[in-house]
Parts: sequence; structure tokens; C-alpha cells
Amino acid sequence: MKAPRLGCIMTPMILALSLTAMAQTIDRAEALWKAQDFTGANEAFKALVAANPKNAAYRMRWGDLFKARFNPGEALTLYSEALEIDPKNARAHLAVARILVNQFNPKAAEAAEKALDLDPKLFEAHEIKARIALEDDDLKKAAEEADAALAIEPYAVNAIAIHTALDLLADRESVWLPKLSDRGEGYETLAHFMVINRRYEDALKFYRRAIAVQNDLWSAHSQLGVSLMRLGREEEARKELEIAYDAHYRDAQTVNTLRLMDTYKDFVTFRTPTTILRLHKKEADALKPYFEGEMLRAMSVFEKKYRFKMQVPIQVEVYPNHEDFAVRAMGMPGLGALGVTFNTVLTMDSPSGRTPGEFHWASTLWHEISHVYMLTLTNERTPRWFTEGVAVHEETATEPDWGDRVTPDILAAIRDKKLLPVAQIDRGFVHPQFPSQVIVSYYQAGKICDYISARWGESKLLDMAHEFAKNRPTVDVIKEQLGMEPEAFDKDFLAEIDKQTGKIVARFEEWTKGLSEVNKLNKEGKADEVIAKGRALEAIFPDYVEIGNPYLLVAGACTKKDDSACAMEEYGKYSRLSGRDPGSIKAYATLLDKAGKKKDAAAALERLNFIYPMDMALHEHLGSLYLETSNPPGAVREFQVALALHPIDMAGGHYNLARALKAAGQNDKAREEAINALEAAPDFRPAQKLLLELSGPGA
Amino acid sequence: MKRLLPCLALLGSPLFASTYVVTVAGLGGEPDYEQRFSMLATDTDKLMRAGTAGDRIVETLKGADATKAHVEAALNKVAGQAKQADVFILMLIGHGTFDTEYKFNLPGPDISAGELNVLLNRIPAGRQLVVDMTSASGAITEVLKKENRTIITATKSGSEKNATVFARFWVEALRDNAADTDKNGQVTALEAYKYATAKTTTYYSEAKHLATEHSQIDGESRAGAFTLVRYGAADVVVNDPAKKALLVHKEEVENKIDALKYQKDLMAPEEYRRQLTGLLLDLSKTQAEIEK
Repeated sequence: MKAPRLGCIMTPMILALSLTAMAQTIDRAEALWKAQDFTGANEAFKALVAANPKNAAYRMRWGDLFKARFNPGEALTLYSEALEIDPKNARAHLAVARILVNQFNPKAAEAAEKALDLDPKLFEAHEIKARIALEDDDLKKAAEEADAALAIEPYAVNAIAIHTALDLLADRESVWLPKLSDRGEGYETLAHFMVINRRYEDALKFYRRAIAVQNDLWSAHSQLGVSLMRLGREEEARKELEIAYDAHYRDAQTVNTLRLMDTYKDFVTFRTPTTILRLHKKEADALKPYFEGEMLRAMSVFEKKYRFKMQVPIQVEVYPNHEDFAVRAMGMPGLGALGVTFNTVLTMDSPSGRTPGEFHWASTLWHEISHVYMLTLTNERTPRWFTEGVAVHEETATEPDWGDRVTPDILAAIRDKKLLPVAQIDRGFVHPQFPSQVIVSYYQAGKICDYISARWGESKLLDMAHEFAKNRPTVDVIKEQLGMEPEAFDKDFLAEIDKQTGKIVARFEEWTKGLSEVNKLNKEGKADEVIAKGRALEAIFPDYVEIGNPYLLVAGACTKKDDSACAMEEYGKYSRLSGRDPGSIKAYATLLDKAGKKKDAAAALERLNFIYPMDMALHEHLGSLYLETSNPPGAVREFQVALALHPIDMAGGHYNLARALKAAGQNDKAREEAINALEAAPDFRPAQKLLLELSGPGA
Repeated sequence: MKRLLPCLALLGSPLFASTYVVTVAGLGGEPDYEQRFSMLATDTDKLMRAGTAGDRIVETLKGADATKAHVEAALNKVAGQAKQADVFILMLIGHGTFDTEYKFNLPGPDISAGELNVLLNRIPAGRQLVVDMTSASGAITEVLKKENRTIITATKSGSEKNATVFARFWVEALRDNAADTDKNGQVTALEAYKYATAKTTTYYSEAKHLATEHSQIDGESRAGAFTLVRYGAADVVVNDPAKKALLVHKEEVENKIDALKYQKDLMAPEEYRRQLTGLLLDLSKTQAEIEK
């Protein structure tokens, strides 16, 4: 075996095993497993496989043990090894399909197909195909595959669950539901489809029913706990997770989620009548003004736009450790997303959870809050593409210099005609067929909503949301609301995309070569050539603001030539196109400040607050600019945040805040801050002067 | 006990004590490092010379000049000139290595911690500061450790072998007013150490990189007495006899403030604040009088 399996084995154990290997039997391994001696069973299987390297069945069972003990990776390896020995082993193909389907791996269908080719009676393979079809929103195929399973095995529980899910997702009463009877697994499958269709309350209901009919179904306890946690119901979530854990059901989701809950003592919660904000203690004071401000602003904008008022507060949780956010959202680390929404609870990465400039946190927040409105407005009936499309649309609808721009990956997908028809776009999110398809699908969904807004008016999106609330399929809503067949819509939309990107796509190779050349010229210090060729590249693909982009190269070359106006022009273009590099934005603000454009400098830095507000120098500079431009409340906020970031120069920090408070007319508070400054540095002359001034002649 | 005000400290200490500063930028090994180390040494040299009233003797070695022979010569020269009352500061920028012994990498033969120790021990200056900002520099502390010597290193041990960023922030501390945390118009070795340490920590944390250097200081209690740079008018009133009574009162008030701070945890917050405010007002008015 290549890797240690089910924990480490002590050296004496290895010796003992090698001596007794031949004595192990499959019966003994099974007996140990049944007795819940998983380590013993593992050793027994290991010895068996070592003694019988050509026995595929032993590897299969050993794989089953790993699967049952929450190690699908090792299980998959063993199933694959079994298939190398016995390629026509239908059960091994089925086992592979079972692992892959849980990982949303598109190869699951292929494995299930192979299993059926070898053994047409394997109804479980039809169940897997039905599940994949339903996840892809291919309702017809899902029903057909479920029927095929039931034709072989009339009690096939997952096939019954899929039929039930088809009915319930369509808001139909289901004759299939009673047939699940007392089989907890069926309710679990049903709950799974509720979760992936964002019907979280329904999911809770079916997990609870699974437990009610089968109390020792520990996986259901665990999933109920994870689902409750997602909706912010932590007390009950912990109870369910602990039930599973205490029963030795300790999969990664259960253990990770319980561990995360133990860290909640390090978080603080801020409440307003309409918002709940949970921040980590170490950054709460620095982030609260911006997060709370943007929550309230987004809610105000959406309330007007969607003509809908939230009846419960929106809860936002911000995690400085990305993996904690991932566990909070999915129970597992390794999530690529920046934010996730579950009904009215949304969780996201903190700006400190990523390298500075890696993401625009305010865009993410608005994106997720848009989901809250769409999910609530449609009673969780919106298709994935529509809620994501509206959310991407909202990232830039209010602030055009936010959000993400088209990337080379997306251009490649457009060039290769990989955009999906609107009726099938959900598949790009659930079962991506190429590495960047999820990102491409976000882009496409966002552009579709931009296109609808531009052609039919912004209110058309709301009309469509109301139709989706009636649980109507995409095809019908497109036909009725846009007055055209989906195919015709696709044609018009692609024509618009071609209008926007056609020239870039046509010159993409030229641009790629040019970018490489300009970066080389930059390294060689050839400023004039960088400026000329960089600007030509900007004209070809203006949206490119990522690594090695021409704007910053040209700005750097202009700076080398002491041409501030030229550098400012480039930084300005970069910022307006959503460029996010903090160093460059600060350099832009410094140039504007030096040029006497104080308000523009402040605006540039204010924009950086929505990208990376953990930078002390940013707040100190912005606070000073606000003082100079007669914005004392802004200066107070900035200097307060600078202090919350624990500056090295505490005296200077308190003094700055005192100045801002004085400018804001809050002399009592200003005096207290002057005293704080002098407590840290009694000889600090400017603070002494301010204290005397604020204390008056009688002091 | 309160550190003396710069003005009084100078009045109370030997008036003609000199400070000897030797800065060495070692072998870069590749153009990028060569340029970086040389630039840091040049900046340090300028900052060390600025604002001093001829009481500093500064020598900087960099590039091809920074050979072992030249380092030895520079340190021997200080050994021949410095007196017990003087201050000596050595700053090492570059790469270091540690196998069984720490070595500072120089063009040609390297210089070892043991060899440096012999050279430093010959220098009679009563207060010595060594700032070794290289990789593996933590290993030098045990070798150089001495009663009157404060040692700052970029790494905590010889096993932290990656190139360091500490030097960059050390030099930044010498030019950033924010490093002067007590706002007395000068940056001490302790303030620069704290500044550079905090900035180094932030550097790794923001880049989401595992920190490969952890600075350390030996002789922290003495580090506040090494003034690295001065700015402002701290020295202006030093020799004004008319202000002496005010200066004495000022020092008394400052001592009371320090004493009060020590009592802070034992006092009711309102009472602490009341007394602190009174003393700070007294101090502020006294300073205003001095400046009249």
C-alpha cells in the first residue's frame, strides 16, 4: 500500500502482522468490523490483501470499510485497485460511482453507466443516474432513471425518494412520500435535494423525519446539525452534532463543525433592529463601521428595488480564517467561494482572510445580501442561475467600480463557444464540465441579468423573480416575461456578448503576446516603450486589471519619468475598472494628494476600504484627508479604525482622533483622547497643546 | 524609574561622549539582494549622520568593500579611538549562515560570530548595541552576550535560515516618526526594535506566509538608552540655564506620571484618570513655559 490507512501502525504491530497475516480471514475482518473494532478490521483487511494481492473482492470490502469510516479517498483508491485486477467488476464500478456522486464529480455518471453495462440489474446505478439528472435539473431523465431502478427493485428507496423530490420541488403533493415509510435513508436523500435547491426549512423537516423513523441514523443527526448551523440555530445544531459524535459518527463535517463552534467565544455579535453582525474579536472594532454601514446601505437599496421589506434581521458572519468560513458553510475546508448564503444567514471571508487585494469584500457582501432578498422573495424557488445572475448584476449596479471583470478564462470559454443555453445554465454551477465553468457560469448569469435589465428594464428582473416564486421553470418564465423562445433569447444574448467581447476574443492571442512583451520591457526599464505598447494593449482588452496588467505597468513607467499626471491617469483608469491592488491605490491617492486633489485622493482611499480595510496607513491618510476636506465625521471614523488596528504609535493614533473629534465639535471626547495620547507619550508636544486648548484657561 | 528627558539626560551624562556606528552590508549573492542590501546600508548611513552635532563617528561598508579585512579594520579603528563613556553600535545587513557556528556572509571569507566577539571585546565603549539583521542571526546572541551589550537579531535562532525582511523595517523605523512612540523627538533602539518586529509580523501575516523569522532582543532594559536618530528641537533647551528650574519641575512631574501608571491597576479608574489629567496638565503648562 502506498499510504498509511486508518491511522498509523506501531512498528511492533507491523512485525506481528507480518507473522500472522496468513492467519487472517475475511470472516475475522467482517467480525471485527461488526464489533466496531475498526482498527482491528483495518489490520485484518490489510493482512488479507497483502496475502491475496490478486483478490479484488477483499479490496472492495476494505474500501467499504474506509467509506463507512469517512475516508472516501482511500475507499476510491481501493475500488480503483480492485478494478485494475477485475475490470469487469460491476459492483466496483458502482462503488466508484457512489463515491464520485457525493463529490459532484461529473465522472460519476460514467462509472454508473459502466456498472449497468456489466450488470443491467444493478438498480443502484439507475438511482445514481437519477440523482445526477435531478441535480442537473433534468427532471424527465431523473424520473426515467428512477423508474428504471424501480422496475428492477420496486422498493428501491432512493428511487422513491427521487420521485418524491420531483413532486415536492414542483410543489405537488406526492404519492411517493408515504412509500418511504420508515426508511430513514429515503428521507435523508429527500433532504439532500431540498438542500441543494436551497429549500433549507424543508431539508430540516426531512432530516427530522429520518431521525424520527430511525433514531440511530447518525448521518441524519449530523446533517441535521450542519443544516441547523447554516441557519444560525446553533444550540440545536450542537445538540444534534454531539449525538452523532457520541455515537462515533465522526465524519469530517461533524468534527469540523463542532470544533468551529468551540471557537465562537472569540466572536462578538452586534445587533441593530434589521441586522446581526458577527465578527472576530480581534478585528471587530476595525470592521464593524464598514460592514454594518454596507449592510444597511445594501438593504436600503434592495428594499426599494425589490419593493420588499425583510421581516427578520439579516445575519452576517465574517471569518478571518478562510477554512473556518468553509467549515461554517459546508462543514468542510477547501471551499473556493468568498461568501455563502443560507436563507437570511450569510457567511463570508473577512478581508483579513485573504491576501490584500485578492477580493472586494463589499461586492461579496452585496452579492450575498442580494441572495437573501431573492431567496426570501421567491420563497426559495429561484433557479440557481437567476439568483446568482442577479447577485453578480448587483455587484456593479450601484457602484460600477466594484465587482469582477471578464477574465482571460472567460474569454477563452466565449471563444470556444462554451456558454450554456439559458435553459441549461444551472448545470454549469452543479456539475462543471471544465475547470473554470463555475466562474464562467457566474459571469454568464450576471451578463444575462445585465442584458435583461438593459433591454427590458431593471424592473423586469423583479417580474421574473415573482414568476420564479410560483415555482415556474426557466423556459416558461423566459417565454412569458421576455416574450420570446429561450433559443431566440440565447441567440440575442450571444450577439450582445459578441458585441462586448468579439473584438477582444479576435485579438486575444495578439494581446497575450503583447502583455508578455510589455512585462519584459518593464523589467528592462524601457519606460517609453512600456507606455506606448501598454496603452495599445489597454485598448484591446480594457477590462484586464489582474496580475501584470498594462495600467500599472504604464503608471510605473510614468512615475519613472517623473510624469505624475500620466501616472494618475493610468491609476484612475485602473481604479474605475475595479483594479484592486492596495499598493497601487495608495500610490494613486498619494499622487492626487500631492497634486492638491484632496477629495479625489479621499475617494480613492475610501474605495480601498471596501477592498482591504486592515491597513493602518490607509486610515491614517484618509483620516487626514477628511480633516483637510472638512469631513470631520469621516475623519473620526478613520482614526477610530486606525486605533482599533493597534498601531505602533498609539500616542499618535489618539492624538489624531482627538483632532478629528475636536473638528467634529465633540470637545469632551477630544479632550479624553488627548489625555490618552499623553498617557502613552507624556512629552508629546502637539497633544499637550491640544489638551491645554481643550481644557480652557481655567484648567 | 522614568527614563530621563533627552535634555536632562544629556546634561546628566558625560557631555562629550561619542557614538561610534559601523554598518556593514554583506554579500547579496545575486543582483537583487546586492542592490537591496547596499541601498539599506546607504539609507542607514545617511540617517545615522543626520541631525547629529558631531558626536557621531559613522562608517559604512558595502558591496565589494565589505570584506572581512575591512570589517576587522573598521572595528579595530573604533577599538583604538573609543572610550569607556562612549557608545558603540554595529549593524549587520545581509545573509547569515549557521551550521555549527554563525557566520556573516561577506565577499571573500565570511566572518564568524566568534571572530566578531573578539573584535567587539576590544572596543572599550561602555555601552554596545549589535543589530544583526541577517538570516540565522539568532545564533549570534549566545556568542556575543555580555553585560553591557544589547543584541538585536532578526531571527530567534540559527535554524531560521531564509532571507529576512527585518532590516527593511529597521531602516524604515529610523525615518518614520511613528516609531518614536513616546514622542520625545528621538527613536531609540528599543522603539526601532518594536517597530520593525511589528511590521515584520504584519508583513508575513498579510502575505499569508508562514513567518520564517522571529526577531529577538537580549538586554531589552538597556535598549531604550541607545538613541539612533533625533529630530525636532529636543536639544535646543539643553544648555539654557534660565529654564533649569522648569526642567527640574518637568522631570518631577514626569516621574510622578510614571509612578501613577505603575499604580493604575490598583486604583479606581476614575481616580487614576483624575490624577493623570492633573499631572498631564501640569506637564503641558510647564513645557509651554519652557518654550516661551
